[in-house]
Amino acid sequence: MNIFFLAILLIGAGGVLALAAFKSYSLMKTGAVLAIIGGCGLGGYDAVKRLLQHTEPAVYNHTWLQVSTFSLKIDTVSAFFLVSVFVVSAVAALYSFQYLNDAKRATATAANYFFYALLIISMALVVCANNLVTFALAWELMSISSFFLVIYDVQKKATRDAGYIYFIFTQAGALFIFAGFGFLYSNTGSVGFEALASIPDSAKFIAFILILIGCGSKAGIIPLHIWLPYAHPAAPSHVSAVMSGVMIKIGIYGIVRFYLLLEPTSALFGQIVIVLGIISGILGVVYAIGKHDIKRLLAYHSVENIGIILLGLGIGMLGAATGNKTMAAFGFAGGLLHVFNHSLFKSLLFMGAGAVIQQTGTAKIDQLGGLIKKMPVTGRTFLVGSISISGLPPFNGFISEFLIYYGAFQGLQLQGASFLFSILAIISLAVIGGLAAACFTKVVGVVFLGEPRSDLAVRASEPGFSMVLAQLILAALCLTIGVWPDYFVQAAFRASQAIPLVADYEITQFMPIITNISRTVILFFLLILVVSIFRRFSYAGKEVTRSGTWGCGFTQPTVRMQYTGTSYGDTIVDFFRPFVRVRKKYSGINKIFPGETTYSSHIHDISEIGLNTFVVHPALYLLNKLRWIQHGNIQLYIGYIVLAIVVMLIFI
Amino acid sequence: MEFTFSFASLLLLLVVFSLAPLFMGVILKVKAFFGGKQGAPLLIKYYTLIKLLRKGSVYSTSTTFIFKLGPIVSFVTAFMLLLFFPFAGLSPVLSFHGDVIMLFYLLGLGRFFTVLAALDTASPFEGMGAAREVFFSALAEATIFIILVLFFRLSGGSLSFAEYFSGNQVVNLWSQSAALIILVLIALFIILLTENSRVPVDDPATHLELTMIHEVMILDHSGPDLALIEMGSFCKMLFYSAFITCMLYPFHTGIAVFNFIIFITIMTLLYAGIGLVESITARYKMDMVPNFILTSFALVFFATILTMELV
Repeated sequence: MNIFFLAILLIGAGGVLALAAFKSYSLMKTGAVLAIIGGCGLGGYDAVKRLLQHTEPAVYNHTWLQVSTFSLKIDTVSAFFLVSVFVVSAVAALYSFQYLNDAKRATATAANYFFYALLIISMALVVCANNLVTFALAWELMSISSFFLVIYDVQKKATRDAGYIYFIFTQAGALFIFAGFGFLYSNTGSVGFEALASIPDSAKFIAFILILIGCGSKAGIIPLHIWLPYAHPAAPSHVSAVMSGVMIKIGIYGIVRFYLLLEPTSALFGQIVIVLGIISGILGVVYAIGKHDIKRLLAYHSVENIGIILLGLGIGMLGAATGNKTMAAFGFAGGLLHVFNHSLFKSLLFMGAGAVIQQTGTAKIDQLGGLIKKMPVTGRTFLVGSISISGLPPFNGFISEFLIYYGAFQGLQLQGASFLFSILAIISLAVIGGLAAACFTKVVGVVFLGEPRSDLAVRASEPGFSMVLAQLILAALCLTIGVWPDYFVQAAFRASQAIPLVADYEITQFMPIITNISRTVILFFLLILVVSIFRRFSYAGKEVTRSGTWGCGFTQPTVRMQYTGTSYGDTIVDFFRPFVRVRKKYSGINKIFPGETTYSSHIHDISEIGLNTFVVHPALYLLNKLRWIQHGNIQLYIGYIVLAIVVMLIFI
Repeated sequence: MEFTFSFASLLLLLVVFSLAPLFMGVILKVKAFFGGKQGAPLLIKYYTLIKLLRKGSVYSTSTTFIFKLGPIVSFVTAFMLLLFFPFAGLSPVLSFHGDVIMLFYLLGLGRFFTVLAALDTASPFEGMGAAREVFFSALAEATIFIILVLFFRLSGGSLSFAEYFSGNQVVNLWSQSAALIILVLIALFIILLTENSRVPVDDPATHLELTMIHEVMILDHSGPDLALIEMGSFCKMLFYSAFITCMLYPFHTGIAVFNFIIFITIMTLLYAGIGLVESITARYKMDMVPNFILTSFALVFFATILTMELV
């Protein structure tokens, strides 16, 4: 536990140092980044050690203001999430060193590092929290610090709007969580986690649903995901990387933790989670295909991956409910490993996107093109991230998806509803995988390959060294897990053994499968090598020339004729109507000698439309009628509070 | 669950692999017959390969290393499928429990690179083909995985090609669940046509780039690169045909030599069947293709639901 506190202290010191030294810009950055990386390294080391060794969970209690105990506990599940938190935060800090390079905004940068440090600390505290109060406090700290990180570019209206949307969602989500906690407290009479398993089944269900809604809004489960596509494009890229890579997973952690604490026995929990996973997974990727802002697109991919994680967890819950140990172990391990994997490749992709935006000044993919020639390293690491997120071997995304598949296949031995849910999970995973590949061939193809579609893309060059290094580290990790997954899968299995059903289950019997995947991947690389040599050999001494792309007989092609991201995704998006609202404007060709024609299309999120029409507008209408309550008189406000307390005391 | 390796199977694999271009010749011969032509010789695909391997290449100035990597990855991934497939009842060269998931994802990797190589050329036509390819294959993925689901049910928990076609609970037309297998056969044939860009989904012989799917994506490839792509597509076709063939006849019993002869015969007939389909059907309109692929999904999904009662 001491190392953990030392790490937290070091990270916090980095944040405070940044505030103190904001007058010397580069000193502030160096100090803050070094302290944060050092702290994360220490914390990550501790977490990895706990995960790989069979250590007893560390517990720390501190009674605080005589009101409530501040209680922390690091078990395997906490340690697993801590690894994600520390690894990604450290690499993103490294990235930020050259990403934040506007010396004129020294104060904002200092504040950014302060809240960045606070965010890391609060995330670490959430995953270690060992009672309701500690959890709630750390959760709020996490929400508020991330809110300040999002509004770094506060002078832009879009950023402020995004900040408001994020704030509303995060606070509304917190309300649900607190409601769930209040409900739990009323059932157990204590804020501790210990008694939660003994409450009645119906109470478990209500509490779980409340917490699922609250944590789901943080994780980005459809239809509670609306803040993601606003907040991520607005935030600086290293912040998007951490928020999308790690912070939304803290929502997943909340779901996992309370599932484990409540120990529900009904299959309904798993089924609800699977259905949410299917909706988030498929719609997330479909919306992503329709989006043309690279960071907004990546934000929707986070929604998709949260869907995959939920599928894994749901399969695990279903397995636990039906007593199928293999299914439970693989589902949970797959979901958890996907949490870690996604934190790596999603932050890698956000960093790539940040580099592109920094170099070209635009996030619109249809104005880019050919960047891999200008940014060779960023292009290649982005390619690695894209293959990983599409769940394809030889990278890490495949490993976790394989585990989820394997778990879901075990579910096919069940009967009735559980059988159907397993089928649905498998089919959705397959479709999500196919569509994710479609989306990322689009991103890589339109942004990095082909020819530049505008002058913005011509001027780009490789970003600063710290940014490149950060991306290289993450890409290397993605490849390592893809080729040698054994340790990582073992760690995920160990964390999944927090479920009582599989606590003593012999997981090692399944490790040969993982080794075989590793062997097959190595065979793949060997064959690639052999065929490359064969290819080199067959070109020896032959004439190889360069010329323009074959225009199919058309001799005057222009770069504007290239397929754009919009045209690439059009048929797929159309196919998923009416779940996606597509609005097209096309002037048409209606004269014999056609003049200028215009075409534009917009993809609207039906959850956003639904929320606007059914929640926001009625609420605003109602609240407008109550405007007179808000008059600005402090005395009367205090009167309200007194009145409210008196009324509550009478009724409760 | 062990990672097995078989040497005799490697020999068989090489034989079958070297026959792949001949099978493609069969399709062309059948199409020529229906067109009232004499057609190209049966060995035409070997000549094409040799011709391509002897040529040099012209690369577009727009392209990068991905364009050269595309053919290599697409060939290797397709070839790896064959390594794990039990031809003619012999155990596959390599096999492990769970390999099917890995192999179909490797195919996805091959497709990923083919598509990227197409987009690398900056050609609007190739972009068009790529967009179609990724969409249709995403739908086909659903059918493939529902087939895996059904096979898992029918064979009592199998997750590898070797397990499907050997052991106690095999999946083929002669097992007790033959009625369901018929549905799978139809669906798999549809997937074969889709994944290998055959009529009625795609027409490899058309001359208008606008109407192509797969062929338009490889427009800019030439020489040995194109040869690799061709060999990759032979492997893919061979795999899907062999998959269907193994469901048609119980190869896991009987004498090896006899099995091999039957295997080659059925394969030839199947390729001739593909030629027949290509000769008598017209290509679908592009927006019909998703319905065609989803039909295959519906068939197998129906079969899977039936297992809830039957098995």
